[in-house]
Order: sequence, then C-alpha cells, then structure tokens
Amino acid sequence: MPTDFLGRVVAVFQRYGMSMLQGAGVSMQIALVGTFIGCLIGFAVGIVQTVPTGQKDNPMKKGALWVVKLILNAYVEFFRGTPMMAQAMFIYYGLFPLVGLNPSMRQAAYFILSINTGAYMAETVRGGILSIDTGQTEGAKAIGMTHVQTMLYVILPQALRNIMPQIGNNLIINIKDSCVLSVIGVAELLYKTKAAAGALYMNFETYTITMIVYFVMTFTCSRILRWMENRMDGSDNYDLATTDTLAHTSGMYRYPDEKKEED
Amino acid sequence: MVERDHILEVRHLSKSFGKHVVLRDIDFQVAVGDVTCIIGASGSGKSTLLRCINMLEIPTTGEILYHDKDITDRGVNVSSYRSKVGMVFQSFNLFNNMTVLENCMVGQTKVLKKNKEQAKKNAMKYLEKVGMAPYIHAKPRQISGGQKQRVAIARALAMEPEILLFDEPTSALDPQMVGEVLTVMRTLVKEGITMIIVTHEMAFARDVSSHVVFMADGVIEEEGSPEDIFGNPRKAKTQEFLSRFIQG
Repeated sequence: MPTDFLGRVVAVFQRYGMSMLQGAGVSMQIALVGTFIGCLIGFAVGIVQTVPTGQKDNPMKKGALWVVKLILNAYVEFFRGTPMMAQAMFIYYGLFPLVGLNPSMRQAAYFILSINTGAYMAETVRGGILSIDTGQTEGAKAIGMTHVQTMLYVILPQALRNIMPQIGNNLIINIKDSCVLSVIGVAELLYKTKAAAGALYMNFETYTITMIVYFVMTFTCSRILRWMENRMDGSDNYDLATTDTLAHTSGMYRYPDEKKEED
Repeated sequence: MVERDHILEVRHLSKSFGKHVVLRDIDFQVAVGDVTCIIGASGSGKSTLLRCINMLEIPTTGEILYHDKDITDRGVNVSSYRSKVGMVFQSFNLFNNMTVLENCMVGQTKVLKKNKEQAKKNAMKYLEKVGMAPYIHAKPRQISGGQKQRVAIARALAMEPEILLFDEPTSALDPQMVGEVLTVMRTLVKEGITMIIVTHEMAFARDVSSHVVFMADGVIEEEGSPEDIFGNPRKAKTQEFLSRFIQG
C-alpha cells in the first residue's frame, strides 16, 4: 500500500473501483426508475385530489370521489410519515411474503422507492396545480373545455414546468436515499462501499471515492434537469410572421393594413 | 316593438355568496344581433351577472334560457353551451403555455374537433381581423396587454360563438391600448355579432350599444336605448352615476 493518502485512494479504486461503479449504476437505476414511476403516481394522486366537486354533481359521484380521496390521503400520510428504511423491511420481509409475492430484490427496491416518491410527489403536484392562476381554468372553460381537457392541455403543462425543480430535488434525494435499500440487500453504491472499506480497513479512502461518485451523479443530474427546464421555457425571442418592416421596429402592427390602402 | 328571436333570456336570477347578496331578481333579454352594454359602479354586480351567464358562477336561483332551454338545469352539458358563448376577460386569461396561434386553435381542435389545417386557417382569419397575425409565434408573456386582449378576442371568435361576452375588456389597459381593443370591438359591432359588454367606457357604450342596462346594488336600476339612458335618464341613481362620467 502506498503511504500517501492519494496513493491509497488510487489503490483502493484499482481494487474495488469496478465493484463500486457497478453499485453506483444500481443506485442510479433505482433512483431513475423510482423517480419516474413516483412522478406518475404523484401526478395521478395529485390530479384526483384536485378534482372539483360542484353542488350540481350527483351524490353517487361525490361519495365515490370522497372515498377515493380519503384512501389517497391515507396513502400519502402513511408513506410520508414513516421512515423508508422501516418501510423497506416491513414490505420486503413482511408484506410481500404475507400476500404471497416473491419479487426480486431489485423489483422490491423499485417498488419501495416509487411508492415513497409518489407520496411526496402527490403533494408537489397538488401544489403545482393549485399554483396555476384560476384565470387559466376560466379561460379554458369559457371556450368549452371539460375539466379533463382543461387539465390536460392547459393546467398540467404549466404545473409540470412549475414543479420541475421539485422533481429534480426528488431525483437527487433518491440517488442518495437509495442507499437505505441496502438494508434489504440491494447491492448499490453504499453497500459496495461498506464491503470495500471493511475488507481493506480503509474507511477514509474508500468513502472519499464514494463521496466523489455520489456527487458526480447528483451534480450531473441537476445540470441535465436545469437544461430541460430551459428547454421547456422555450426561446425568449419570437419571429414575426410578416414582411412588414414597420411591425419589426415599432412592435405594433397597424390595422386595417395601411399599406394595402396606399397601393 | 317588434318581437325578435331571443337568443338569451335571464329570468329572476339571483346570486349570493354566503349571506352576501350580489344579484337580486335580474330579468333581461338579448335578441340576435343585439349589443347590450351593462354599465354601473364597481361592485354593482355587473361582472357577476356576466359570469353567471357563462356559468362560471352558478346562480343561486333563477333561470338562464338559451334558445328557450334553461342551462342552469341539472344535466345540461355546460361545456357545450360555453363553446357557443364566447367570453373575453378583464385579465385576458390566454393560455401561458401556448403561442398566440395555439391559443386560437386549441378550442377548435379539442372542443369542436376540427382538424389542424382547418383550425389554423380559421384562427389566422380572426387573428388577421384583430391585427395580430404577425405575432402568431409569440407567447402571451411576450406581447403587450392590448395585444393580449386582441388575441383573446380572436380566440373567442375562432370558436364562432353565437354570443360574445366581454367582462371589462379594457379595464386592465392603458389609454392607448384601450383604443386598439375598442377599435377591434367596433368592427365586430358592424358585423352584427351579438354581444354583451360590461364596460366602464361610457362613450363607447353610447356609440355601439343597441341596449343599455344600468345596474346598481345588484339590481337592474334602469334599462333602455342608449339615447334614453345617456340622454334622458329617469332614475336618480342613473343620473348621479352618469353625471360623474360626463363631468369627468
């Protein structure tokens, strides 16, 4: 073993680097899948929770909606209110065998992370929908859109843009928190790190590598998400669809078209 | 008076928010081709009345007959009714996630189920009419208030509605922009489109309307031809309200 710190880090990396990078890949995969499915769950729950009920609706529909909202609320509160590590043990070792399911470790990891992210995202999506000015809804209703059309074409695209930073937040949290799933034996980055550090008795060096790998993953993701946000905003400029140069300079278009009258 | 076809008839309409009564027993009719201006002080219930007509507010009691069919009935398809009744808002309410052109197309393609080419052609027709054709690629945040309102008018027109409702379309605009929006509205009046306009522009109301409704404290205080209301108001409240505008 080299005597200087950097040298030892390199040595640890040479021996356990591949295994740790594999673990990092697993972390990344779990985080991406969990965030993606979590977002889908979050959108579904958030949309249902913001369905308006009017006095004119029939009581059956109102009752059914009330029950569904109650169940979804319970889901959100339960998964936000208990630690994911405990949930992992509870679900993987308790609930799955109880209902006769036998998923692989990876599948269980996807499931637990998705359902957790979903609980948080549900509230984020609900907030995102509520953040859109009611004028947008009224504008959509006034041209005859139904609630579903209003949500699909007007509210959700704007809500999605507004909650993009929070989705990014969730992805980054998931990259790091996937390490919690090592309790059910998922061989992700932290699991591999523990193994390497334990084998060599070199905690400082091994964890230095781990920290760097985690940071590279999260920083890359946050940059990619920021780039996606900018793309969603579209261009700050727009082209005028006219050959009338007056419109370019003044920003005003004259009507009725004075040019035609001059001709 | 010759009885014309009533396209819209409001009967005994009342609206209260909790204990606060905003509209009391409103009755009025709109015939095809009518331009009805609703004037009155702020808080007199003008906007609420207009929002009730479009069912954005649910009337507490009363009926709104559209082609003799009560649209406040349970089971009436409010969305399809709204697609025939255009509305222009004080705060424009353009869809921020769409370009000017998309704003004018989305209702046609999604609600009226027209194909894209037809919708685009139609949208362009109305955008040209309001002088916004060069701006089709702009987003709402990139254009001025007056331009937004003109796009909002084009969006409503693109649905080819039977009635157009205007809820204080110029109240959020500076004087120069008020002019450009009113010019567009005057061309619509000339074309004979049925309109109900809530406005504070008295000169405009006097010029364009065929019928003027003056509201005060949630009731229709006085209604009649613009000559009667502006030239010869009978009620004290109407006189007081109008005198302030004429002096100012």
